[in-house]
Amino acid sequence: MKRILIRVVIAFIVPPSVFAVSAEDVVRRLEKNTVFETSRVEGSMVINDRFGRKESTFISYGRGTDDMLVEFTSVEEEGMKILRTSDELYLFFPEAEELIRMQGTALKESVIGSDMSYEDMTGGKGLLSSYRADLKGMEDVDGFSCYRVELEAKKDDVPYYRQTMWIDREIFIYRRVHKYSRSGKLLKIVEIEEIREVSGRHVPVRMKLVDSIKGNSSTYFTVTDIEIDIPLDSVLFSLEELTW
Amino acid sequence: MKLWRIAARNIGRNKKRSFLSLSAIAVAVMGIVFFSGYLKGMTGDLVRNVKTFYSGDIRVQHEDYERYGYLNPLHLRIEDFESLTAGIERDESVALTSPRITFPAAVYREEETFKATGLGVDFGRETGFQNLEDYIVEGRMPEAGKNEALVGVGLAREIGVGTGDKVTVMTTTMRRGTNAVTFRITGVVRFPLPVLNKTRILVPLDRAQRLLRMGPSVSEILVKLKEGASPAGTAARLKEGLGEDVLAFKTWDEGSVSYGYIKMATAVYNFSALFFFLLASSVIVNTTMMVVFERVREIGTIGALGMTRGQIVRLFLFEALYLGIIGSAAGAVLGIGIVVPLSITGIDLSNALQGVDMEISGRIYPALNPVLTIFAFFYAIGISGLTSLIPSGRAARIEPVEALRSL
Amino acid sequence: MTFLLSLAWKNLSRYRKRTVITAAALAVGLGLYLFMDAWLMGAETESERNLVWYETSSARILHEDYWDERDRLPLKYCIEDPGAVMAKLGEERIPSAPRTVFSAELVLRKDPFPEDGSLPVRVVALDPELDDGVFRLGETVEEGRRLRPGEEGILIGQWLARDLGAEVGYSLTMITRTRRGYYQTIDAEIVGILNCPNPAVNKGTAFIPLDTADRYLDMEGAVTEINLKFPERRDPDALAAEVESGLVPDFPGLRVKSWRDLAQDYLAFASMKKSATNVILLLVFVIAAVGVSNTMLMAINERTRELGMMRALGMKDSRITLAFLLEAGGIGLIGSVLGVAFGTALSYWIVTRGVDISGLIGDMDIGYRVQGIFRGAWNPGAMVTAFFFGIVLTVFIGFLSTRRALKRSITECLYR
Repeated sequence: MKRILIRVVIAFIVPPSVFAVSAEDVVRRLEKNTVFETSRVEGSMVINDRFGRKESTFISYGRGTDDMLVEFTSVEEEGMKILRTSDELYLFFPEAEELIRMQGTALKESVIGSDMSYEDMTGGKGLLSSYRADLKGMEDVDGFSCYRVELEAKKDDVPYYRQTMWIDREIFIYRRVHKYSRSGKLLKIVEIEEIREVSGRHVPVRMKLVDSIKGNSSTYFTVTDIEIDIPLDSVLFSLEELTW
Repeated sequence: MKLWRIAARNIGRNKKRSFLSLSAIAVAVMGIVFFSGYLKGMTGDLVRNVKTFYSGDIRVQHEDYERYGYLNPLHLRIEDFESLTAGIERDESVALTSPRITFPAAVYREEETFKATGLGVDFGRETGFQNLEDYIVEGRMPEAGKNEALVGVGLAREIGVGTGDKVTVMTTTMRRGTNAVTFRITGVVRFPLPVLNKTRILVPLDRAQRLLRMGPSVSEILVKLKEGASPAGTAARLKEGLGEDVLAFKTWDEGSVSYGYIKMATAVYNFSALFFFLLASSVIVNTTMMVVFERVREIGTIGALGMTRGQIVRLFLFEALYLGIIGSAAGAVLGIGIVVPLSITGIDLSNALQGVDMEISGRIYPALNPVLTIFAFFYAIGISGLTSLIPSGRAARIEPVEALRSL
Repeated sequence: MTFLLSLAWKNLSRYRKRTVITAAALAVGLGLYLFMDAWLMGAETESERNLVWYETSSARILHEDYWDERDRLPLKYCIEDPGAVMAKLGEERIPSAPRTVFSAELVLRKDPFPEDGSLPVRVVALDPELDDGVFRLGETVEEGRRLRPGEEGILIGQWLARDLGAEVGYSLTMITRTRRGYYQTIDAEIVGILNCPNPAVNKGTAFIPLDTADRYLDMEGAVTEINLKFPERRDPDALAAEVESGLVPDFPGLRVKSWRDLAQDYLAFASMKKSATNVILLLVFVIAAVGVSNTMLMAINERTRELGMMRALGMKDSRITLAFLLEAGGIGLIGSVLGVAFGTALSYWIVTRGVDISGLIGDMDIGYRVQGIFRGAWNPGAMVTAFFFGIVLTVFIGFLSTRRALKRSITECLYR
């Protein structure tokens, strides 16, 4: 009780600028926490749209900020793989004899009908290189105290001109993200519904993605199993591996 | 002396003049018969194209499919299509069926993507339905069960491929996933409609089902009826006998955008037909009037000899009617004699414009319009007769002396 | 010679009825021929006009790199200073209209639309004041009104409206990208619904004001294309090349594509083929010619006696022939003049005002209203041909029959 009281008092009396932490610091810590040297994730994606509900499962391997390999294991996507390296994105389909390279406008397409686009999967350059960060104070999200950071694009290599992130002040993982269009209309909402501790790291295991304009469309990501900083063969992120 | 006999004799007496008037009438009637047949052939061509490549005589789809058409709702499909197709084919009015799946596709080759429309068809059936073999300009038809494809000539050109090359077709599956399959092009096809040549890629039905992860289902079944069968009647009958509640059996002219075009084209042609009719009429009027005017002296003579005005008018009327009947009959026979053989062989209009693939059908098949032919026959006689009344009436009114004086 | 001319003239007025009837036959025949020609040319050029009036314009100025990527409607390859380019074009008296074209997703919500939905469309941002100098979309607006500069308003085609259940006054959101690649949303209200003969426009295109697009897409004054209007009869490819070579010194990075280049991408459903309509015109020609010649032959037939008389009086055959030819030519002249006048009058009606054939189309419940006004096209070449042909035909017939009559003996002629 006393602790809560002290916290409330501090929150009200002490203005945010007194905090030693800057927006950039927050973002940097966020990125450090959400990027793993290597990872292996088993998860599922549930897509809800006007036509119904669809569930897809996948295994994804990650390395650093750049490399990611996603293998779909559900029947509907059977065998489909996505490989992302620093600036390229490739798709593999079992019955296609060549790899499909997604570039340019093709990146805007949605991944297997979800609210996430291929473009959303690219990147890894780091938010601060593309955005200017502004700390707007503290806000509560689901009972957790979060930094509210406003990001405004300073380079045109990102799709969202403005984003608002609510970053948990204790564990520095974002709990909610709002993504806006250039004219400021809310486009996408990301909500982290559950964060779990794995090998000393905090990992979001349930995430909801909502298309705020279309209204009837949402995607749920669930992590069923995750391994961090395991040894991963470099060849896993090569094109050859993709065609295998 | 009977007037009608005098009239007949008059005609025989001045053969040249009679022939001129007669031939003018004949040509006019023949022109009408041919023109209407030709127009019918042109609209028939449009209709045939729509039926062959888009809608069949009857189109069977999920009833909600068209409503959400722009979203390409593959899940609004026809399952168990095999037995449905068999049932449709058993109907006495049905000639052929074409179960198919239409889907938007991206054709990918060497890191370039091209927009296309994919069509999964049963090639065995399509040979009959679309006369597909006639349109293949290179290679052969794909075989069922193999990842082989037929590409429109315009699309092939755009991608830069030909027979033997491979392309990867990527599309959204029925459950809104993504899938891609590589096909080998076994043939290139040139349809009579340029839009098809620029966008269509045809693959075997079972491969399309696999690509789209649809299982044994199709998005529509096109039905071609036998000559003379009624689309509306057959559609109703099929719906009652075979259709589950969720299926719609639409005739080719229901809710089809192409039908609107056909209607408009028909209206454009019919409007010009109206004026053509006018022209033909004016030809008859002219020659008939001429015939009478030339004989003003004759009129004066017989007037002086005691024929009444009424009798003179009636005399010329008979002459005009005789000429009309003979000329009209000759014209109609000639017209039919031209249209009917052409309706079988067709008129070959295919001279492709230099370098531009803008051909529509190469052949037009005129179709005899019996109603219009009969109408034209009587119309020409009528016009001929009526026209004679004016000048003959006028001429008969002049005093015989005056008439005799004029040259 | 003067004697023959005055003879011909006297004869023409003497046999007034014959002259009138024959000339009338020729006039009606030529007039209707010209009319049918104008009408069918209208049909033939219909698909061409469909493109040029509503989609491609006569030619289009593009950034040199735009063409290869044109399927993706890239905003990054644009024309930076359209004003300067258009000023240059203005010097050459070529009407021009700037446009920015991009792809967007239209998102509708259940209220007021019948249900939620979204649809990819092509969006054309046009200048409401300049666009009508090149295109004819302005006159196709059926409901609501045209766009006004600077507003968040949108015009859609009638078929698209029907597909979406849209009405004037409904609001929707467009999702697209700015020139720099940021996602952008434009909330707009449907201010008008248009119905034009071009199905692509009716079904898959939306229109917004150019300055609104400039604002929302961070175009900074640039546009993706400048459209040009050429006179209808001139060769668009040649003119396009001319314009391009004229622009290149000052604006090196631009290319000009004629509508024929652009048309490759626009899918025509059906086009009336030249040879198909030629058959019709040939038929009209034949019928008209038969009418005229038969009439003339009848007339001349009756004059054999006169001809015999002239021969008996000692006139030379050649002069007789000339006399009759002049007369025939006279009839031909009168007929041709009247015919061309008549044909022009009829053509004027269908070319400028057009004919609303939707009445002839009748009851059509396909949901899509097809544009019902159909226009003819001028064909000055045909008028000239028809004029001369009329005279040639009459003179020729006159010649033939005179020759025939002259072959007979004088007494035979007189006997008639």
